[in-house]
Amino acid sequence: MPKSTTYSVPRELPPDLLLKWNEILSRLTNVLQIAKDARHHWIDPMVSQAIDSLPNRINSQGFDPWGFSPQEAKFYYSLARHIYDYFRPEIFGIENIPKGRVLIVPNHSGQLPFDGLVVAQATLLQAKPPRLVRAMAERWVSTLPFVNEMFARSGVVLGDPINCRNLLEDDQAILVFPEGAKGSGKIYQQRYRLAPFGRGFMRLALQTKTPVVPVAVIGAEESIISIHDWKGLAKLLHAPYMPISPLLPLLGPLAYFPLPTKFRIYFGEPMHFDGPFDDEDSVIQRKVDQVQDRVQALVNEGLAQRRSVFF
Amino acid sequence: MAHILITGIAGGLAQLVASKLLAEGHQVVGVDYRELKEPRDPSLQKLQVHRAHYNKTIIEDIFRHQSFDAVMHLGRAFSLKDSAGKRFDLNVVGSQKIMNLAVQHKVRSLVVLSTFHIYGAHPSNHIPIAEDEPLRAGVQFPQLADAIQMDNMSSTWVYRHPQVKTCVLRATNLIGPKLHNTLTQFLRLRHVPYLLGFNPMMQFLHEDDMAEAIVSAWRQDLVGVYNVSSDEPVPWRTAIELTRAKTFPIPAPVADVFLRMTGNFPGYLIDFFRYPCVITDRQFRSKVQWAPRRGLEETLWSAVSEARMNQL
Repeated sequence: MPKSTTYSVPRELPPDLLLKWNEILSRLTNVLQIAKDARHHWIDPMVSQAIDSLPNRINSQGFDPWGFSPQEAKFYYSLARHIYDYFRPEIFGIENIPKGRVLIVPNHSGQLPFDGLVVAQATLLQAKPPRLVRAMAERWVSTLPFVNEMFARSGVVLGDPINCRNLLEDDQAILVFPEGAKGSGKIYQQRYRLAPFGRGFMRLALQTKTPVVPVAVIGAEESIISIHDWKGLAKLLHAPYMPISPLLPLLGPLAYFPLPTKFRIYFGEPMHFDGPFDDEDSVIQRKVDQVQDRVQALVNEGLAQRRSVFF
Repeated sequence: MAHILITGIAGGLAQLVASKLLAEGHQVVGVDYRELKEPRDPSLQKLQVHRAHYNKTIIEDIFRHQSFDAVMHLGRAFSLKDSAGKRFDLNVVGSQKIMNLAVQHKVRSLVVLSTFHIYGAHPSNHIPIAEDEPLRAGVQFPQLADAIQMDNMSSTWVYRHPQVKTCVLRATNLIGPKLHNTLTQFLRLRHVPYLLGFNPMMQFLHEDDMAEAIVSAWRQDLVGVYNVSSDEPVPWRTAIELTRAKTFPIPAPVADVFLRMTGNFPGYLIDFFRYPCVITDRQFRSKVQWAPRRGLEETLWSAVSEARMNQL
């Protein structure tokens, strides 16, 4: 037998073992194929129609450079629709989303990103014409198996200035939570009090002349309740935070099952900003504060109108 | 008619470039530290070949006896069978020697083949990556230190010796029927694995298109550092499907053990199956009249078709 060249994976297996190995692998691929085919039965016609109406920005294999795939997004958005319906969201002011590039800026809450999911679903199903929002995700998300792929196929991208600029210049809609993990990981005592916004989104808005739509999400704070952030465990798991539910002693892991709170989403009127994007932090901060104040005001209005957390 | 020296001539890409240049009537000399396999392709009949280490004195003689108009330094050693020390000698010390000789013997232009691997596959990679961005690979993978240093060295060369028109091409995944690099070999397996739970975007460029890019860069006296890539990034599993291979998942920890046992698959490559490293060659295309001619499907299939026939 000639000596193998620069490469030796895999080594030659005895023929009978190779046969068995082949059989195991083909059965495995069959199971995967069945699972893949079963997906088609799950696709929601409304979601499918909305995604089909989006402007075509994909290559011949059906992907954009960030890995968004309309075909697979249909499946994930259809699954997400069940979560969306679970929270029975009421959407106000969706017509405030302008045509073309836009930064959608909501408050962030609820431990898991259900607020993002509901906003994304609302803009896809309720906006006219349907809009696909590109949510900006934490770096941590790219390291999670399965989740990273699911997110990428549904249009989520890594929250990075260059990604964001490229998408805005392509006239897409971006969903960004400037509170970051500090927002979604906040404990119950601080509910509906916004954590300080980051400045990155404002610099991008100025650089690409993009309108900012402030959004209030009401109801997510109460769906998963955390009374403490266990920083030690979070560090161990490389997670941004680790919520401790008050119901933990009673329910165990079930304490993290989201409660069926009613979501109310308020889209505010678009805000336009002018000025150099590379100005001093203090100048940018004043503009960021305007957005944060507007989001807080929308949140306060929403809370004032709310009669019940669950209905 | 130009007189051209090509390094790495035992490799598929260098031979493709050589046969293109020979067909245009140029005089081509090939050099490699490895032995050139015989019989040669008929298009390479007129090729003059020397066997020499890039960091030894034989290469000086080659420069002394012939006067070259251009040097194409395509012979980067990437096989992990060679020790890190040997790769450093070939890639860093050797490249330095070749570049010094080019200056000394008044060579007009120099094309250096680098790789996009030096950007590293990293969870914080945005898409796409341009030339002036940090090279993250070195932080995690010292095995790539020689590639990064070679790229840095040639990039500074561009400005330190403007009399030699130097251009550094950072190529994306190159595949094709004549190539035997790790990725091409990997795609030729009967069962091509993927990492369970990961499916990053990847780009593939056909060997012929890359050879054409190298020749075009030289012909147009390109100076600077440029990415060279293809148009259509696709997820790894879609690429496997297009090669009509069977595929199966490997959990990441198993893959690590597997790599340690077999040894020849570079550890840094595993991250390219986990995180995306998509590059843009907008700058290159704005300077050079070049675009890949082969589509993605043709590119992938051409690299594996022979292996698939043998697997029937």
